[in-house]
Amino acid sequence: MVAPAARPAPAPASTVPLRRRRAKPDDGVVTVGRSRTGTVLANTAGVVFSVLMLFPVYWVLNTAFKPADEVLALEPTFWPTSPTLDNFISAFKAPLFLTDMLNGVIVTLLAVAGALVVGFLGALSIARFSFYGRKAIILVVLVVQLIPFLSLLIPLFLMLQSANLTNSLIGVSITYLVLILPYTVWTLRGFISGIPRELDEAAMIDGCTRAQVFWRIILPLTGPGLVATSVYGFIQAWNEFIIINTLNSPDKQNLMAWLLQNQTTRGTAWGPLMAGAIITSIPVVIFFLIIQRNIATGLTAGAVKG
Amino acid sequence: MRHGKYPFIIGFLVVPVALYVTFVVWAYIQAFYLSVYEWSGLGPVTNFVGLGNFRKMLDDTTFWQSLKHNVFLLVLLPIITVILALVFAFLLNVGGGSKGGVTRGVWGSKVYRIIFFFPQLLALAIVAVIFGRVFGPDKSGMLNGLFPDSWSPWLFLADERYAMACILIVLVWQAVGFYVVLFSAGMGNIPTEVYEAAAIDGATRVTLFFKITIPLLWNTIQVAWVYLGIAAFDAFALVNIMTVDRGGPDGATSVLSLMIYRNAFEFSQAGYASALGVVLFFLTLTFAALTLRVTRRESLEA
Repeated sequence: MVAPAARPAPAPASTVPLRRRRAKPDDGVVTVGRSRTGTVLANTAGVVFSVLMLFPVYWVLNTAFKPADEVLALEPTFWPTSPTLDNFISAFKAPLFLTDMLNGVIVTLLAVAGALVVGFLGALSIARFSFYGRKAIILVVLVVQLIPFLSLLIPLFLMLQSANLTNSLIGVSITYLVLILPYTVWTLRGFISGIPRELDEAAMIDGCTRAQVFWRIILPLTGPGLVATSVYGFIQAWNEFIIINTLNSPDKQNLMAWLLQNQTTRGTAWGPLMAGAIITSIPVVIFFLIIQRNIATGLTAGAVKG
Repeated sequence: MRHGKYPFIIGFLVVPVALYVTFVVWAYIQAFYLSVYEWSGLGPVTNFVGLGNFRKMLDDTTFWQSLKHNVFLLVLLPIITVILALVFAFLLNVGGGSKGGVTRGVWGSKVYRIIFFFPQLLALAIVAVIFGRVFGPDKSGMLNGLFPDSWSPWLFLADERYAMACILIVLVWQAVGFYVVLFSAGMGNIPTEVYEAAAIDGATRVTLFFKITIPLLWNTIQVAWVYLGIAAFDAFALVNIMTVDRGGPDGATSVLSLMIYRNAFEFSQAGYASALGVVLFFLTLTFAALTLRVTRRESLEA
């Protein structure tokens, strides 16, 4: 820690009057650009941008808690004058809402669990072994993340149809697994590579078999990576709707598809629709808030540092 | 670690490789195969037309219109998003000055980080529904509600001149938070001494940004550019849900992915749709390869 007295004096080039700096002697700040105006500007920009980012979300909340007549009122009100939970109740009572919610949970959990198991083993072999074809596998993992999935929708549909897996939760789960697997493998590979090989070797000298090394050393140390990738996978699978909408009939779809169906069939019932949107987003928001500290680690572990 | 590794490798990789061979490689082979047939999507695939589907594309005005819109997004989405994200990541990380030798962001930067990331959590379906309300073409729409009463309501998505710009705004709104976090993480890896040294030498924020942050973050920016370009080639969800007549008014918001979907599942033109998919595949890969090649420079080690 630098004692306040030892704080470097403002550089001579500073245009800020010295006395303003003295006004707060204990803030210990050497502003990088040394201009207060800059700091004010920076803070203002942050606030304005945040408002822009949040306004639509606020509008959703506002609409969801308004009674029906207020939603459609020509004079918009910025706060529900008589807040109500009616919209949430009618969303829950709407046909297929609970069914589709349960479908979403099943499909998401299957896909994420599958991707974690398959992805962890795949990442292990890429990170810990050198073998013929390893580079090719890495390349495929990377390229697959780039290709437009929509151009695969027709063959996907045909394949699942011939396997009797259309209009089934299993078919969708497998598809989602494939969708989130590249990210999972790539990120976990980053985490595993970060574990020193000396640990493996030390454990093996102490008599661990290779399988025990993977199970007792690498798996526990990859914990944060597993959390980060599963949250990412969860968000992807939970929010997906194009595939499930194409493959399955409404009673085998998820909440996103439900939402869209209700947007078109009950066009002006904005209240329940927004309430549905909120309910649908809650799991993702909760997961995010739990791991938001680690989100940057999860994002960058494999994605950026090649 | 040589002894007996192959059983592990084979055991570990058999499932993922099988999945990819089936769902990606085989699927693409099928897509390529279907692209040279005229096929409705039902019944046997018999009517071989060679490059007929591709020739049909050349005369298809919707195709050129859609391609134009994809290029519009391809140019603007990465530029706007990367610039916004860089500026805000910079503010969040070094905008607030330094304290006790630690460079820090503007006041409240932790809160901002969560706020900016928030749109990323919402499903595209929800984002599209929300912005349908934001851009509502009458007084009950959010923006029109905010405008003074004397203005006649703006049409937004219903106006073919501005519809595509509305889509772009939503894409930027949704994407920017992710890249703020991504760039922040990258900036966190730049040693603070570099900033300190430059600051002591009299560098302003602007100088720091251009002379230190951007060069040291170049690889991350490159990756971001590729991701955003790919998002610009997709854009299916928003266009499909938000726009008038899906791709309208009068084709003003049609994009390639929407064409693929509608030809395959609505117009009974699965062969043509597959051909469009093949074109999209090559466009995307070409874009990614070109971006990585053109923007390559000596990587600077921090």
